[in-house]
Amino acid sequence: MDPASILLSFISVVIAGFIAGLLGSLTGLGGGTVLVPVLTLFLGIPIVFATGASLISTIATSAGSASGYTKSKIANIRIAIGLEVATTTGAIVGSLTLIAVYKTGFIWIIYVIFGLVLLISLVPTINRARFELPKAMKPDWTTRIFNLYGSYYDQRLKKQVDYHAVRWWLGEIVMFFAGFISGLLGIGSGALKVLGMDWAMNLPMKVTTTSSNFMIGITAATGSSIYWFAGYIQPFLAAATAVGVLAGAFLGSKILVKITNVRIRWIFFWVLAFLGVDMIFSGAVREQNLPTTGTISYIGFAISILISIVLLLLLYLKVRREKANA
Amino acid sequence: MPKFDQNAITSMILSSGVILSLSLIIIGVALVFIRGGGDGVPLSEIANYHNPGDTITSVSLLPANFIGGLIAGDGLYYISVGLWVLIFTPVTVLIDALVTFGHERNKLYTLLDAIVLFNLLLAIFVIPRFIG
Repeated sequence: MDPASILLSFISVVIAGFIAGLLGSLTGLGGGTVLVPVLTLFLGIPIVFATGASLISTIATSAGSASGYTKSKIANIRIAIGLEVATTTGAIVGSLTLIAVYKTGFIWIIYVIFGLVLLISLVPTINRARFELPKAMKPDWTTRIFNLYGSYYDQRLKKQVDYHAVRWWLGEIVMFFAGFISGLLGIGSGALKVLGMDWAMNLPMKVTTTSSNFMIGITAATGSSIYWFAGYIQPFLAAATAVGVLAGAFLGSKILVKITNVRIRWIFFWVLAFLGVDMIFSGAVREQNLPTTGTISYIGFAISILISIVLLLLLYLKVRREKANA
Repeated sequence: MPKFDQNAITSMILSSGVILSLSLIIIGVALVFIRGGGDGVPLSEIANYHNPGDTITSVSLLPANFIGGLIAGDGLYYISVGLWVLIFTPVTVLIDALVTFGHERNKLYTLLDAIVLFNLLLAIFVIPRFIG
């Protein structure tokens, strides 16, 4: 390859990273969840390098956005670090599992798990942000022992919000899985972290999303170093994605505050659903040892588009019905 | 007692980590293109990320060679150090928080922070010896 086409290929990866960062930020799923499918399905990059580049780029986006959140004191650093005990342990187990999977040659499993995690993550992400503050729950023993109290100034509600978390142990269990998925798939697994803090610990949505963003960097750093020595990080590729994803996420965070039309987010959700279904299809094709390019990939695209439209339609109707009942 | 804003310090560490890392990465990419390769590997092989068996990966870029690579103006090492700055940014945040928790005599959270730090350092320094 001559330098000009190498430069072109490099720029195409930067653009892929940019789109992933933008979509990840606008949907709240994080750059990595979009980056891995885009790199593998559209640019034909081996999943081993895609996950490596994604995980290390995730640290950049987490640190970039968390620096803003921590300054405004919305993210609860104390609660976040307490939960990192579980996510970092999970990340170690997850990355070692990935190494074992690669050694046994069942790479197709990673595609399928990735697709499933992406699709499942969509449900809480779509349901998110409907309630700003959680229903009040009585503090339990973990609230007192682990000092799970906090407060922040909510700009939209225009008041200081005092809150407390409950069920620390349940949060830790969910966080272990979040860390495991992060290490296994090379993503930040923000959706699972939000589930841990929102559903398990009953924290306000703003505290949950910002603290989870802060945590993603620490979890991803744990997995990244293991990936580095396992040889899963291709430096040139990771350089392109780190720059692209960060730029995309930055733009996304600027646009996000301006998007008032909620319906436009459904288009982004559809793109993610499509990527999820196509990852599962891609995994199934690999399991059968069929060629991953040509006619089969076109059939896969068509099937994935169809299934993702049906899935999203069902989800959209469910959300609308719940809204009507509320 | 001096009053310092923990959140502001964390925020500063995070943003400076990202800026430093990205600068090193961009310089590295430029150097790889200008010099037509890095670490004795030609550009075409470095850019061959479609074929895992026929390209350079992180496993051959040893941290022991990082400083030498930087001094030699080797683009691949600038990229590598940039990526490692990213990995170490959260480590710095954790060390800073450990000092703060210790300063506040918050024994429980000093312990929890130490466990997280232990996990991270385990992943960086110990586990790599057993893989690969």
